[in-house]
Amino acid sequence: MQTEATLAQSDVSELDLVKRCQDGDTEAFDELVTRYRTRVFGMIYNMVHSEQDAWDLAQESFLKAWKSIGRFRGQSSFYTWIYRIVMNVTIDWLRKKKIKGGEAEFDDAIQPREIDPASKTVPKTEALPHQAMERDEIRERIDKAIGQLSPEHRAVILMKEIDDMQYHEIAEALGCSIGTVMSRLFYARKKLQNLLRDVYENV
Amino acid sequence: MKTFEEKWTAWLDDQLSGRELSEFEASLPDKAAAQAEKAEAKKLGQFLKRELSAYPLKNEEFFSHQLHERIVQESGEQRRDRPRRGGTPSWWTIPRLLWAGMGSLAVFLIFTVLVMHQERPAEESQYLTQILNARVDPVVSPNGTVSIFEVKQDRATVLWTEGLQSLPADYAAK
Repeated sequence: MQTEATLAQSDVSELDLVKRCQDGDTEAFDELVTRYRTRVFGMIYNMVHSEQDAWDLAQESFLKAWKSIGRFRGQSSFYTWIYRIVMNVTIDWLRKKKIKGGEAEFDDAIQPREIDPASKTVPKTEALPHQAMERDEIRERIDKAIGQLSPEHRAVILMKEIDDMQYHEIAEALGCSIGTVMSRLFYARKKLQNLLRDVYENV
Repeated sequence: MKTFEEKWTAWLDDQLSGRELSEFEASLPDKAAAQAEKAEAKKLGQFLKRELSAYPLKNEEFFSHQLHERIVQESGEQRRDRPRRGGTPSWWTIPRLLWAGMGSLAVFLIFTVLVMHQERPAEESQYLTQILNARVDPVVSPNGTVSIFEVKQDRATVLWTEGLQSLPADYAAK
């Protein structure tokens, strides 16, 4: 957990990085990307359930952020600001996908969770085959349940439960009121409780 | 004023306090059931966090590298496009239209001046011809004509005679 001093220090250096980006410094932007790429990718992946699409959308989001960094005024944190871009890009993509191909994400588009053996994030103790299968099934159930929510409801529940964002940060990222965020959370939770009760009660 | 959904969400997330909390809890018809649902919602939250939060971004360095390449590429394209985008409208809109308009106007004026100048009827001929008098005796000279041309500018008068019979030598004496 960060202390207030380190938090302030990281905020200052983040603002400094942003200012350098605004002057066209791509290395400063690389630094910001390194800080947030995993969180951004993870959030998008949880919304679209496809690794390739999440990769592309994360790239698109960062590219848009670079193009519009000149308009960042520092009124919110950089993370909230970039989340707004991420959410716009992802929700827009989900809407277009729904128009094009219906709810196809529950068929072949879902990729089973894989861990790259070369990845730094490989768990030290690998799960037993039956445990891995069980986790895949759980993941599939969760993806399916989240897929039944609208893009906006998905965004709200994921930002709240996974990223621990505050209501006002979520509202800022989605460009809506705090009341709307709370209302969406209410319905998203109810729906997921109904769809996943048997899973989380028995895990 | 908050709706029930908003209050319920705030209560689940422990965001209600003081009077607001006591008022909301007092309004619940079955507090025990509400507490059970709150516990269940918390369990759902923990479950989602545990299952969804650790999805890794593989090849992180390649991700950054690819993004960097795209940024460099886009920046290069923007730099190349800038003079084109910047130059084209300025040359094809206001200055060029202005120049084209002024050119057209000049051509029109020259043309008009030339044509008008050519078509303008001469107010007064430089060589004004006036037949001032012609008195010829038809018996003596049936085809005879006498004309006088007067050039005002040169202050000259020309007497032009045709078809006259030669005058008898004693004519002047008469």
